[in-house]
Amino acid sequence: MLIEDTFAEAFGMRAARLVITAKNEKWAREAALKLTGFATSVIACKCEAAIERELTPADTPDGRPGVSVLLFTMDSDGLGKRLIERIGQTVLTCPTTACFDGLPDLPDRVQSGRPIRTFGDKFQISKMLGGRRYWRVPVMEGEFLLAESFGMQRKAIAGGNFLILADTADAALEAAEAAVEAIKGMEGVILPFPGGIVRSGSKVGARGYKGMIASTNDAYCPTLRPLTTSALPDGVNSVLEIVLDGLDVAGITRAMRAGIDAACRPGVRQISAGNYGGKLGPYLFHLRQVMEGA
Amino acid sequence: MSDWITLTPRLALDGPIALSVHPERYAELAEHDIAALPAIGRDREQLPLGEMFTVKGGRSTRVRLEGATPHLHSVGAGMLWGELVVDGDLGSYAGAGIRGGTMHVRGTVGDAAGLAMMGGALRIDGDAGDRLGANIPGAAKGMSGGEIIVRGSAGADAGARLRRGLIVVSGDLLRDGGRSMIAGSIVVLGRCGENAGRGNKRGSIVACGGITVPATYRYATTYQPPHVRVTLTYLRRQYGLAIDQALIAASYRRYCGDAGEPGKGEILERVI
Repeated sequence: MLIEDTFAEAFGMRAARLVITAKNEKWAREAALKLTGFATSVIACKCEAAIERELTPADTPDGRPGVSVLLFTMDSDGLGKRLIERIGQTVLTCPTTACFDGLPDLPDRVQSGRPIRTFGDKFQISKMLGGRRYWRVPVMEGEFLLAESFGMQRKAIAGGNFLILADTADAALEAAEAAVEAIKGMEGVILPFPGGIVRSGSKVGARGYKGMIASTNDAYCPTLRPLTTSALPDGVNSVLEIVLDGLDVAGITRAMRAGIDAACRPGVRQISAGNYGGKLGPYLFHLRQVMEGA
Repeated sequence: MSDWITLTPRLALDGPIALSVHPERYAELAEHDIAALPAIGRDREQLPLGEMFTVKGGRSTRVRLEGATPHLHSVGAGMLWGELVVDGDLGSYAGAGIRGGTMHVRGTVGDAAGLAMMGGALRIDGDAGDRLGANIPGAAKGMSGGEIIVRGSAGADAGARLRRGLIVVSGDLLRDGGRSMIAGSIVVLGRCGENAGRGNKRGSIVACGGITVPATYRYATTYQPPHVRVTLTYLRRQYGLAIDQALIAASYRRYCGDAGEPGKGEILERVI
């Protein structure tokens, strides 16, 4: 097994953590799944989001089961807008839910709960508790409770990644699934793609089409081996990517280490990473340095 | 620099004394400087703190007042930040006008505790007198922020003209609680006295142990208010109040009122 001497290149983002609670795990998860739907990449989804972990009643402000969600955007303005859209359309509408701020100690805030309160058509009620303001929005079911503001992590990171180069598509998928399982539930990190796995890693821009932001990463496409400058060693017939977004460098490093460690299994020839020569983002995760603590 | 500044009476406190304790002022002061501060109002005179109290420690915003008696009034009034712990009982105006910080009285307090409070937290382990967290007489607004937690019972007129903030009474609350309250919340774990919430504009009274709802309130529904759940969970975790899960998960009858006002206030009566 070869860990290639390369690095994953990540870039800065803004992030918020939402804590969604409900009568039971089922409804908290229903809301979280809807909220994080179509949020794989900022390229087309305007944000990246996923479930961070499930929370026990002891972890939530109202003592009910919950789910924490991380949502990432390119800028502060976008973060506020995405939260308004997504909370308003998915959590407000979901039976029994309430929505809390999962980063209450951060000084930078986005006031996303404030616009949502207007759904209450001036019947909404404000409540202060522990120095934080909540809004009670009357709905047909009863009341929807949400935080007025959400903490914004200014130095969040998106685009942490590693590539699993395997003999076969089955081996690549098994290794990627093992990596996702190892990372799942780690605090401060999400895997925004379907099942945490990306099969269509991209390069910046396009060879044949002007104006494309991203196109297929042909250097890692096995079917293009003779047609392009391939980065694939002999015997590699399938590549899958794990993309990680996190609240800080330490979290992503920890998660990459756990994921790579789990992915190193029979059928996997090499672990590599996606980068753009250091031109895209300021955060470089050198694979061999990441694995030094393993 | 010491962890705590301790104030201990040097002689028996047998007459009314207005004691000014401001932890935020002691952050940069040595022991003898604190003792020299004019802090005791008695017989129309302003005396230095050291005249009647032994001061131990300095350069800290954490103050412990030992041997307190109900003869001490206005203790902690106007506090800006820091921590004040009082061992014993206090007279009137304890923690009046607090803007920030925490004051913890390990005993009972007299009337007008937390009067016109603006922020911070006032914890009272025993009972409180009348006009807890109320307005200064004649003022349009009462308490405008912060939290008052009483582990015992409280007297009449608590939270009068409450504008913002939270008043919690673990025991019973006497008559006229939340009179003319503008907003904010009053949570009573015991029995809530007569005429609660008269003239209420947008405030919330949560009655967990029974209440006679005034006729000027109209029944709306019976439900589990999510903010009550959050509030009770917060009180249990933050202040260690004995609130069981059954109470947190209880249903409440919501009454809207007061009818003579905009009617956006509410009384939430626990269904027992």
